[in-house]
Amino acid sequence: MERQEIFEKLNEIFTDVLDLDECNLTDETSANDIEEWDSLSHIQLIVAIEKAFKIKFTSLEIMKWNNVGEMVDSMMEKL
Amino acid sequence: MVVNSVRFLLFFIVVFTVYYLPVSKKHPRFQNLWLLLSSYFFYGVADWTMVPLLIGATLVFYGLGAWLKSEMRKQHHKNASRLTTFGVCLGIGLLLYFKYLNFFAESFAELLSSIGLKATWTTLNIVLPIGVSFFTFKLISYIIEIHREHIEPSKDFVEFATYIAFFPALLSGPIDRPNTFIPQLRRSHSLDYDQAVDGCRQILWGMFTKICIADHLAILTDIIWADYGSQSGSTLLIWTLLYTMQIYTDFDGYSNMAIGVGKILGFNITRNFNHPLLARNIAEFWRNWHISLTSWITDYVFMPLNIAFRNLANWGVMLAVVINIVLIGLWHGANWTFGLFGLYHAMLYVPLVLSGSFGKNKKLRPNDYGLPKLEDFWKMLANFFFVSLGFIIFHAESITDAFRFFSGILSTSLFTMPSLPLKKATMVFILIVLILEWTTRKKEHPLQFSTDGIFKYSAVRYLVYSVISLMLFLFAGEVETFIYFQF
Repeated sequence: MERQEIFEKLNEIFTDVLDLDECNLTDETSANDIEEWDSLSHIQLIVAIEKAFKIKFTSLEIMKWNNVGEMVDSMMEKL
Repeated sequence: MVVNSVRFLLFFIVVFTVYYLPVSKKHPRFQNLWLLLSSYFFYGVADWTMVPLLIGATLVFYGLGAWLKSEMRKQHHKNASRLTTFGVCLGIGLLLYFKYLNFFAESFAELLSSIGLKATWTTLNIVLPIGVSFFTFKLISYIIEIHREHIEPSKDFVEFATYIAFFPALLSGPIDRPNTFIPQLRRSHSLDYDQAVDGCRQILWGMFTKICIADHLAILTDIIWADYGSQSGSTLLIWTLLYTMQIYTDFDGYSNMAIGVGKILGFNITRNFNHPLLARNIAEFWRNWHISLTSWITDYVFMPLNIAFRNLANWGVMLAVVINIVLIGLWHGANWTFGLFGLYHAMLYVPLVLSGSFGKNKKLRPNDYGLPKLEDFWKMLANFFFVSLGFIIFHAESITDAFRFFSGILSTSLFTMPSLPLKKATMVFILIVLILEWTTRKKEHPLQFSTDGIFKYSAVRYLVYSVISLMLFLFAGEVETFIYFQF
């Protein structure tokens, strides 16, 4: 899967889970940038992403990510 | 050595002078070494038999960090995980041994005898080394952050050891993370006048809340608790509210003093309190009370659990919350009451988890008159009330003790006038703290004067300092040690 494709799908997921009007994620986006992205919705996002892409992350992977870019890097390894 | 003592002042003058000598400022490594030696001296004065423990634990974890990184570089991920687990277990093991060994053994012996098996346990003369609850958490944090690739292991033992033993925060926190503290040790420190002045003001404020409020409430609450069976329900209710104020002003006071001393030395120690009395629900409360502990357990226990339970929806979140907050309770000491304290707080989380608002950080906006909105104000009162009830369990010596106290409140004497030996001056001070809690909510501490307004005049500032100092002088009784020293 292309990186751009992943980002497009992620934008949809984030908009849906966080109840946003729109979403334009970049490599540098992190929870600090989106007000609705808190510790609880973080977990809901991960569950939704795993379901949508049919992948499974390890706990360590999830805790290492500092931003969306690093999460997408993890995803590219699995897709 | 308590910060509000002459001994500490003398100690600090020596430390400060050598630290900021022209020759020292050019050599950050010398400054660190000086801080390290001062810290070990400081710890030695508190308990010299434990200095080898502190140094030993520091050496072990320093080596462990380096070994962990080398395994990670070689892509030996299983080994890296094993080493991390080992480090965490070692740190927890230290804590368990000193704090909880007697408790587990006695509880186990009781369990055995309750089913008819005789078991005796001679309570080992294990003295809880002061500060253990705090520095073990720093050591564990170091290993975990290396494993999560958020920091590199330290290449300088003195630097690492100074992070662990840094004397302003050694005995009772705040618990700093290596990510934010170690970088501060990598540059030389010249006296930053503004930062030092801010630090002094913070120390002054900390001394005020500790000496003029906490210490006095401590005497009062001890007297009443010792005889709570014969007190009216209304007295016990007021006790509950005052005890919460006591813990807050005591620990916030200590934390402010520790942070203030750190600032004079050019360091930003992490915050411990952020106006928790303004919390509108229990989640907001714990985000702003003993922040360095809560965030430590949140990052290293709650988040991993939450991630592990992520497919269990709300049940998963609730389970993670329960485990998290019971651990926060048990961290305080080896007694079932602390576990019950945790469970009580976990119960308060239930409505938040069910409504999905538990992670939300709603901004606190004033109404048109600059005061809290009425709905927010009721929530603050309700939250303060429920938190205060929880502190009864915290203070009790046993669960039955706590229940007796509760039933003491819920009697007909609840509707009589309370009678407490509360000094008028203490009442005024508490009122001042409550008002400032709201009016200075955007500041780190109330004496962070803005450069516009009445406090830009030095005469006004000096008047404030003089009044506070006078109050300290008038109200300093016996030096009461910090409640949190026992943790």
